[in-house]
Amino acid sequence: MRKRFHLRQLNQDAIPTTSLADMMFLLLIFFIMTTTLAKTTGFVTDIPSGAKGQQDTQDKTPTIALHDDKITVNDTDNMDMVQLRQYVARLRLDQRKGDGKVVIVAASGHVSYQAYYETLAMIQNAGGVVAIESEEDHK
Amino acid sequence: MIRRPKHELPVIPTANLVDIAILLIIFYMACSNFLPSSNARMTPPKAKDLSKMQEPLVVVTIDKDGVVQLQGHDVGGAADIESAIGELVRDKTSDDARTVMFKCDAGVSREVFQPVLDAIVQAGGLILAVGENIEK
Repeated sequence: MRKRFHLRQLNQDAIPTTSLADMMFLLLIFFIMTTTLAKTTGFVTDIPSGAKGQQDTQDKTPTIALHDDKITVNDTDNMDMVQLRQYVARLRLDQRKGDGKVVIVAASGHVSYQAYYETLAMIQNAGGVVAIESEEDHK
Repeated sequence: MIRRPKHELPVIPTANLVDIAILLIIFYMACSNFLPSSNARMTPPKAKDLSKMQEPLVVVTIDKDGVVQLQGHDVGGAADIESAIGELVRDKTSDDARTVMFKCDAGVSREVFQPVLDAIVQAGGLILAVGENIEK
């Protein structure tokens, strides 16, 4: 009797899809758990290399130096982040062309990435091009 | 003897349930991005007016302990980063293909992040510096 029932079931043309829903929901749960819908925010910068060498021939290139407890511009002015923002705005980097857009950023001591990042973003948003002073340039 | 009428159990139609589930799976598959850096513990730096960016394929991360990772794997130092990124972006002409996502903890000091930035630049990569927008 049992065998006959089984044969009758096999004769049916329909593909058994009862477990398909379970598999689909397992996959769905997996993707819901692993998906991050948040978009990445930041800025893209093409940092010129060897910018310090260029600076020697172009004295007008502004240099922002980040130290542990202060920020100096062109080795003279002591500034905080608000004053630095005003200084960068005054440079009107978006209206300049070519090398005039370049601002050299140097860091020394134990400057945190937060301060460095804020400075780079500030210059980038003002329409400037960041040039980092590399380790070799310090030596 | 009272004969009670037989009540059949109501049947919930579940035939279309699979279709809905497949549609949802396709949606989540299309939206998913399996970043190799997702396990790195870090606090992103904050800045004003950051714009939304498309995520590049090459990811360099520095977590709060200063551990440098490329594509989710630990790397020895800046020299390794430079050679590995050089391999990845070699022969790439478009800016999108040369872009390297740089994710670094806000508290990491210069001695750790600057050699890595230098290495990416020397390898010919563009840097997508990832951060969080400061709420206005």
